[in-house]
Amino acid sequence: MANPFYSGRRRRNGVWTVLCYSATIFGLAWLALILGALLWKGVEGLSLDVFTKSTAPPGVVGGLLNSIVGSLIQAGIGLAIGAPLGILAGTYLAEYGGGSRLATVVRFINDILLSAPSIVVGLFIYELLVVPVGHFSALAGGVALAVIGAPIMVRTTEDMLNLVPNQLREAASALGMPRSLVIRHIAYKAVRSGLVTGVLLAIARMTGETAPLIFTALGNSLFTLNPTGPMSSLPLIIYEFARSPYAEQQKLAWSGALLLTFAVLALSVSARALSAQAQQR
Amino acid sequence: MSATAIPAASVHSSTMDRARALGRLKFTDTSFYWMTIGSALIVLILLLGVAISLFVGAWPAFREFGFNFLISDAWSPPKEKFGAATAIYGTLVTSIIAMLIAVPVGLGVAVFLTELCWAPLRRPIGVAIELLAGIPSIIYGIWGAYYFRPVMQEYIQPFLIATLGNIPGIGFLFAGPPFGYGVLTAGLVLAVMILPFITAISRDVFDTVPPVLKEAAYGVGATTFEVVGNVVIPYTRVGVIGGVMLALGRALGETMAVTFVIGNATKIQTSILAQGTTISAMIANQFADADPGLFTSSLLALGFILFVLTFLVLAAARWMLARMELK
Amino acid sequence: MSDQVTLQNASKTLNKSKEKVSIRGLNFYYGQNRALKDVSLGLYEGEVTAFIGPSGCGKSTLLRILNRMYDLYPGQRAEGEVLLDGENVLSKDLDLNLLRSRVGMVFQKPTPFPMSIYDNIAFGIRLYEKLPKSEMDGRVETALKRSAIWNEVKDKLQASGLSLSGGQQQRLCIARTVAIKPEVILFDEPCSALDPISTAKIEELIDELGGDYTIAIVTHNMQQAARVSRYTAFMYLGEMVEFNETNDIFTSPRDKRTQDYVTGRFG
Repeated sequence: MANPFYSGRRRRNGVWTVLCYSATIFGLAWLALILGALLWKGVEGLSLDVFTKSTAPPGVVGGLLNSIVGSLIQAGIGLAIGAPLGILAGTYLAEYGGGSRLATVVRFINDILLSAPSIVVGLFIYELLVVPVGHFSALAGGVALAVIGAPIMVRTTEDMLNLVPNQLREAASALGMPRSLVIRHIAYKAVRSGLVTGVLLAIARMTGETAPLIFTALGNSLFTLNPTGPMSSLPLIIYEFARSPYAEQQKLAWSGALLLTFAVLALSVSARALSAQAQQR
Repeated sequence: MSATAIPAASVHSSTMDRARALGRLKFTDTSFYWMTIGSALIVLILLLGVAISLFVGAWPAFREFGFNFLISDAWSPPKEKFGAATAIYGTLVTSIIAMLIAVPVGLGVAVFLTELCWAPLRRPIGVAIELLAGIPSIIYGIWGAYYFRPVMQEYIQPFLIATLGNIPGIGFLFAGPPFGYGVLTAGLVLAVMILPFITAISRDVFDTVPPVLKEAAYGVGATTFEVVGNVVIPYTRVGVIGGVMLALGRALGETMAVTFVIGNATKIQTSILAQGTTISAMIANQFADADPGLFTSSLLALGFILFVLTFLVLAAARWMLARMELK
Repeated sequence: MSDQVTLQNASKTLNKSKEKVSIRGLNFYYGQNRALKDVSLGLYEGEVTAFIGPSGCGKSTLLRILNRMYDLYPGQRAEGEVLLDGENVLSKDLDLNLLRSRVGMVFQKPTPFPMSIYDNIAFGIRLYEKLPKSEMDGRVETALKRSAIWNEVKDKLQASGLSLSGGQQQRLCIARTVAIKPEVILFDEPCSALDPISTAKIEELIDELGGDYTIAIVTHNMQQAARVSRYTAFMYLGEMVEFNETNDIFTSPRDKRTQDYVTGRFG
């Protein structure tokens, strides 16, 4: 084909192809650099002490125990509040609300909350639960996390329930089953793994947030289980120690970052594995 | 066999028993309904609550400074004079820089994934990108502080000052001593953070193109990028823009990725190599030391401005993504 | 067992000349669109009535009115009278769940619940009766036997309902419906998604069930209607064109449209 037009087109196609390959290599390279740095510096500071000792002032051998436990507790509070809220609201949107005006507005609001700046959520909970009470608390931190995690579960629940075929609901209604039982015993069961996926993704998101905790849980250098007082967490301690001038604290910051990333990735991978498994059936 | 025949329950008492059994379920049935609608209302109230509480806390600052708050770059706690201009400027500039880099690269990766990539690798790379989109922002922050800033200080900033800094007309953008911190550094870290997000959304959007459309174009002999440019992009244009705006919304509100490397200055400077601040970085840095009163109120006012800004961007993004789904 | 005695008496109390369900002047609307026009007929107790007609004639719509299934969807409404043992099914205050426990339905696509075979059956029963395990076991077994599937599943009652083949799933759905002891069973094209062997098994089943329940079956397949039903109703474009004993409909139809349909001129 001696068509001059054609060779020009082929050249242009080639240029774009090279650009796209470059973009991919460029993008993946940065991310590889970051993960590499994380592994390199994070492993350096890892030791049993990290998991058994709480944070200590410079000069004293310390660990991240209080921060790890604090993250678990606050994520737990966030889940305990956010999961029922998110799943029930998502159920309303899929099962009862449909195209009603309230449902449309709630969907819109939920989408905004899904991507809203987390620092703004922190400020809100600060005004709501810290100022009136007079002190910071893990409870306030947990509530802030719930506000961040719930929209994820609202979305996943609604999407999952919408996948349940109407015929299944009709078959259950045809036996005389009241609406709520149709939802709870049939629809939920049909998409159970999808709902769990949503919960796992929400936990992953909640665990990684720093900004909302700055104004609510504040952080705590001591080990504590008391939710009514300030409490440490992994993101907060990374934030604090990364800016510290002391080498051993900086090392702990990196180890904490490694642990945090590992936890978040593990949760995300489990969520995906679960949903892939469900789709195969 | 007659032993296994089940007769129709036309006996009256059975119907009564059933009515009673169903009656007992009526309470749980209605309360479940109310719990779901209550939860939906709570979601609604949450957003209103955020807006209202921020506004109420910010009101003293708005009342004191008025419209000037938005354009003044004063920031002096002792003199009790505050202005949001530096923070707004920094927020906008870092986000724009991030978008300028992350959007082309992200779209390029998305095109690669949907059109060019060797088929068996598509899913693993796609999954990897989605996992990376979930990495907490503080990781980007700490990496930015320890790895990227020194590189900026040693190599990139001097290079930019020496080259682009000498070009008349835009040279002023690249002036200044290379500290490594600054608006450009923060924008670049933000770009790396948003990149997986843009790729993931664009890839999802590109996947909605019906294969028959692409096949028809390939069928008349179009090259890969002619198909992309003439079929995929026009078809998904609204969705891609929506996805990009969603990423912008996230970039505007990002705190941790930015606060480590932006330098936390309180005056606007023309060079993007100079230090600055963003709304969220300023709030994060100064809130602990702010005494209640005009200082805290000004920080809350900053928060309110950020809220309104991201609300508008996210609402526009959603509207566009919704329009795409209507097709 | 006293159960046995009640069995005999119950069969005898089915009065085959009595109208179990009486439909008078039924009109149905999808939004503004009138899908059923002044339909009137009666379903006789203990008999199988088939509904035939070309696609879109309204036979499934009619069936779904009898258990108020359309109530699940906004924008659909019915006017007229549908009497079940004299009680109007269309009245607003009617307890729908109670109605549906008396009027069961088997759908075109088999829809086993996402639970074990045992629970599929037990779930419906548990809505209405609190039974000790041994009695529940017995009820589940009876329902599965009645639906001619017991032998195929008796060793795997804890397996998921979804692990069965299409024909088996449909028989499971029939067992599920029969287990809660309804008075009327509605079949909405129960075999159209199944292979010929499963179809034959289910037709046999419907024939057997016919004696104890009032059955209405919608079908595309005229031969099926001829095989299983005593009465047939031919519908066309939302109207009840002709209702008669099945034999008469097929051998000596009174309306020309009926004749054209059963001889295959259209449909």
